[in-house]
Amino acid sequence: MAGKAQIPTRNSALIAMIADEDTVTGFLLAGVGNVDLRRKTNYLIVDSKTTVKAIEDAFKEFTSKEDIAIVMISQYVANMIRFLVDSYNKPIPAILEIPSKDHPYDPAHDSVLSRVKYLFSAESVASGRR
Amino acid sequence: MAVKEEDSHTQCSEAGEYEEEEEEEENDTQNGEQNEKRHHPLDDRHALQFLDSLDDYLIQMDSLSSILRQGWLELASARHSMGASRVNGALLDLKFHNASTSLRVTQDDDDSGVGKAHFTLSKWASSGNGENGSGEGKLREDKSPQLRHRSISPLSETPEKTSSQIGASLIVDEQVQKERLKSLSVFGTLVSPKLRTAQLSFETALGKLVEIANTRSTLLSAFDQVKEEIEGTKD
Repeated sequence: MAGKAQIPTRNSALIAMIADEDTVTGFLLAGVGNVDLRRKTNYLIVDSKTTVKAIEDAFKEFTSKEDIAIVMISQYVANMIRFLVDSYNKPIPAILEIPSKDHPYDPAHDSVLSRVKYLFSAESVASGRR
Repeated sequence: MAVKEEDSHTQCSEAGEYEEEEEEEENDTQNGEQNEKRHHPLDDRHALQFLDSLDDYLIQMDSLSSILRQGWLELASARHSMGASRVNGALLDLKFHNASTSLRVTQDDDDSGVGKAHFTLSKWASSGNGENGSGEGKLREDKSPQLRHRSISPLSETPEKTSSQIGASLIVDEQVQKERLKSLSVFGTLVSPKLRTAQLSFETALGKLVEIANTRSTLLSAFDQVKEEIEGTKD
């Protein structure tokens, strides 16, 4: 899965964000923001008015763009589109679930950890090793 | 009495030797069984690497949480001193501009030939003024391995080289300061010092985020290898 795919070398790839206003503002201060000629941004600010459809579309767009290497998404936003986040298994762009102001990071919901959790089930280890 | 004590001591030592021999025999048989069970000598290494990267991932996530908390607090302080209308998302620059901070993605081949993505952060590298900015960014990036090398053997460094490196780092620092100010200028020319510290906190968070991305890459690569080995032993 992650290791088998060929990874093309890119010299200036972007970091995309789907998060709350303060997180996006902070990372934009750090110089992550990019606006292309069509005025499309590499971030989506999620507030109470943002629809799940808009989040889904942004996630699909960011994960399909070739110039994006990392998509960081607030974990509570990722929970809204969990089916999409969990089904994504490409190495690039890498999806990173980050905490937000009102929702602390919960490892139990992290897509990466739920993917590797398989190895910790006693059944799979026992049948594999013995 | 002394003779008796000596006798008992020799008996004890003999009994101890027998026990040791028995233990050695048991250990040999256990080792033999373990060697038979172990099809690949690298099994444990991959499993250990997987567990290590998993542990690292969780620790780094915890660290990211605290850095971000600091950043949010500083941003809130800046908003408090400057006013909510001066620090909000509506002021963000929506004109065409390139990201000043970008990533370099390379394929990092493992010993076992499995490729995994490796991310390198290039801070304040590509500004709107084109080639100049990206060149300095490269300079900054190329410098880091040299610095690491220098720390291993500090005596081998010549004074001329050091002065030229200091000069280069000053140019880079100037460029970085310029880019930082440019980024802050969205919120006005006179900004709260808290906003500057918030910017630094989010820069640190960004560095941590890239570390997490690399750990995630190692974790998934190790996971794939362990999974393959488990499936191999099932067959």
